[in-house]
Amino acid sequence: MSPDFSPVLEYWPFLLKALGVTLQLSGASVLCGMVIGLVVGIWRAYGGRVARWLIALYVDSVRAIPILVIIIWTYFALPLVIGVSIQPIGAGILALSFHLGAYAVEVVRAGLLSVRPGQLRAALALGMSRRQAIRVIVLPQALIRMLPPIGSLIVIAVKDSAIASVVAVPELMRQSQLLAGITYRPFEIFTTTMLLYFLILYPIARGTDRIYRKLAHLGAS
Amino acid sequence: MKQPREGTNVDGAPARVGDAQEPILVFERVRKNYGDLLALDNVTFKLNRGEVACLIGPSGSGKSTLLRCANALETIDGGRIIFEGIDVASSSTNVRKLRQRMGMVFQNFELFPHLTVLHNITIGSTVVLGMSMRDATIRAVELLRKVGLPEKASEHPAALSGGQQQRVAIARALAMEPDVMLFDEPTSALDPETIGEVLSVMKRLADEGMTMLVVTHEMDFAKRVADWVVVFDKGALIEEGPPSQIFDNPLVPRTRSFLSHLGWHGESIVEGDGR
Amino acid sequence: MTFDWSVIWSNYGLLLQGAGMTIVLAALTMLIAIPGGLLLAALRISRVAALRTVATGFVESFRATPLILQIYWAFYVLPATFGIGLSPFATALLALSMNVSSFNSETFRAGILSIRKGQTNAGLALGMSRLQTMRYIILPQATMRVLPALASTWVSLFKDTSLVSTIAVAELSFVSLKLRAETYRILEVLTAMAVLYWAMGYPQAKLVEWLHRRFRVVE
Repeated sequence: MSPDFSPVLEYWPFLLKALGVTLQLSGASVLCGMVIGLVVGIWRAYGGRVARWLIALYVDSVRAIPILVIIIWTYFALPLVIGVSIQPIGAGILALSFHLGAYAVEVVRAGLLSVRPGQLRAALALGMSRRQAIRVIVLPQALIRMLPPIGSLIVIAVKDSAIASVVAVPELMRQSQLLAGITYRPFEIFTTTMLLYFLILYPIARGTDRIYRKLAHLGAS
Repeated sequence: MKQPREGTNVDGAPARVGDAQEPILVFERVRKNYGDLLALDNVTFKLNRGEVACLIGPSGSGKSTLLRCANALETIDGGRIIFEGIDVASSSTNVRKLRQRMGMVFQNFELFPHLTVLHNITIGSTVVLGMSMRDATIRAVELLRKVGLPEKASEHPAALSGGQQQRVAIARALAMEPDVMLFDEPTSALDPETIGEVLSVMKRLADEGMTMLVVTHEMDFAKRVADWVVVFDKGALIEEGPPSQIFDNPLVPRTRSFLSHLGWHGESIVEGDGR
Repeated sequence: MTFDWSVIWSNYGLLLQGAGMTIVLAALTMLIAIPGGLLLAALRISRVAALRTVATGFVESFRATPLILQIYWAFYVLPATFGIGLSPFATALLALSMNVSSFNSETFRAGILSIRKGQTNAGLALGMSRLQTMRYIILPQATMRVLPALASTWVSLFKDTSLVSTIAVAELSFVSLKLRAETYRILEVLTAMAVLYWAMGYPQAKLVEWLHRRFRVVE
């Protein structure tokens, strides 16, 4: 059977729409995940023992459970607990953010700890409050150092978005499955899909390295 | 026992230790390029058996590069290096066999962190020379005693101070029973307190008659222990001679200015204790 | 809404079987993917440009696309387009091995390259051959450095086995979802599934953390 990519061209808009959903899904989960990461991460780095213990439990537990399980549980089981039904894409964003958040917490914590303690002391010595010092001196430096790991987070988010296909979120993975079923051309469809993911992910992986190298001197202390 | 340090030949030129025999290491118009940079510029000098020669000069003047070319860790682009009659850079030379006869001590010690101190010393004997572990251990223990660290045998390098690590590195090189010891700025990476312990090990080696080629910034050591001093600048050899000449009466102005930049003003220093 | 947790106890044998399959799948994959990763790493630092390019292309493709897509690709494309008919288990093993080999190759490559050149020089200066230097000096140190990374990869692999439930391999996720479909006890079964993964994954994650601390590289 010789390769025939015409179905790809024919259904191109369909695939592009699905790609858009993938990007929305990934983007939303990275954003929410980073918010969780920043809030919880800062709390963990500067909070008390109980906070640290609780957060450690969250982080280690989420990282022990497969994302597939979290997505399925969020879509099927969570509604039973809270009594409200959840849309597939909502469940997808919720589950992905919750999962990514655990990784983001570690990224934020590592970033904050990598800034030399002398920097905080110097800021406090100038008379800044602890909160000011963290916000104005430590956090900016930490954010720069967090750039490469955030790049990896984005890559994880995009890859994991494909798993949302199992709860019928109309993202790229799911829609290519449907398309392959309609056109009976799995090779052409799935190969095209692979190419699309590659074209998104490869530059991100390489790009964050390059951006970091340009900005690294700002975060070096 | 070594011959006396200074005297003159019939023609008035300073006699060198070991002049009666063939030199052990000869550099003949050695040239090396790093891209556009001329790292070594027609370097010619010889090292005699039993002699201690110190290479001094500004940083980046090519001294360390020359050392690494001597045991073929780096290649040369012109000239010859002859070690015990063998052309080091020739393609037919078994470089590994040559390296077994040369011991090298690195600025960063380069001990093997995953091995114990004892193992660091025995690994050359066992893997390269094929000695039995028992014989290698006997030799290693003896060498550890010689450098003053017998109790550290089962420690890992990370547990030792810089000076201790460097002494182990010297023992590691000595375990191969080399004919010449090459020292590449052995004390440059050390805290001032530990420099002394390494230099006294090196002085002991020199007194026992070991042939040594030492790249160093320790002028004190060069003046007191070296038989011959070679001055480098920008990849070229600008002057060579006995320490009395180089430090008290340099013939070349650049040597004088280099030494004065280091705070050396041509006076003999008082022989003190300490270092 | 009533919850009936007895469903779990009456079916725990089934669930444990699924968990067992998860472990077997992960172990077999890693068994293949460690030599596979070494091979790919060697090819990537080879002096032959063609080998380098092919190996790099292979590795980057597997690292920059979702694993679930790779699994589907193998499952649907191999029989339909290439006439290769593998069992779901074999397909899963194939996709997982190639994926993890690619990640391992990066780990090994970084581990070897991270050893200072001075260590090689020190070995050569003693008269060792390049092979001896590799064997006695570089590889032992590289192994200590890659161990934590390999352990992290193992934990990820363990979780990724859940994805092959989509092609009907009877590991823990597939078995749990089937049970849910049969008993309609959604919350109970899904929660049990999550707890089982947690029970297996949490200690492993802690072990990996310990490994990272123990083998931390201090220059």
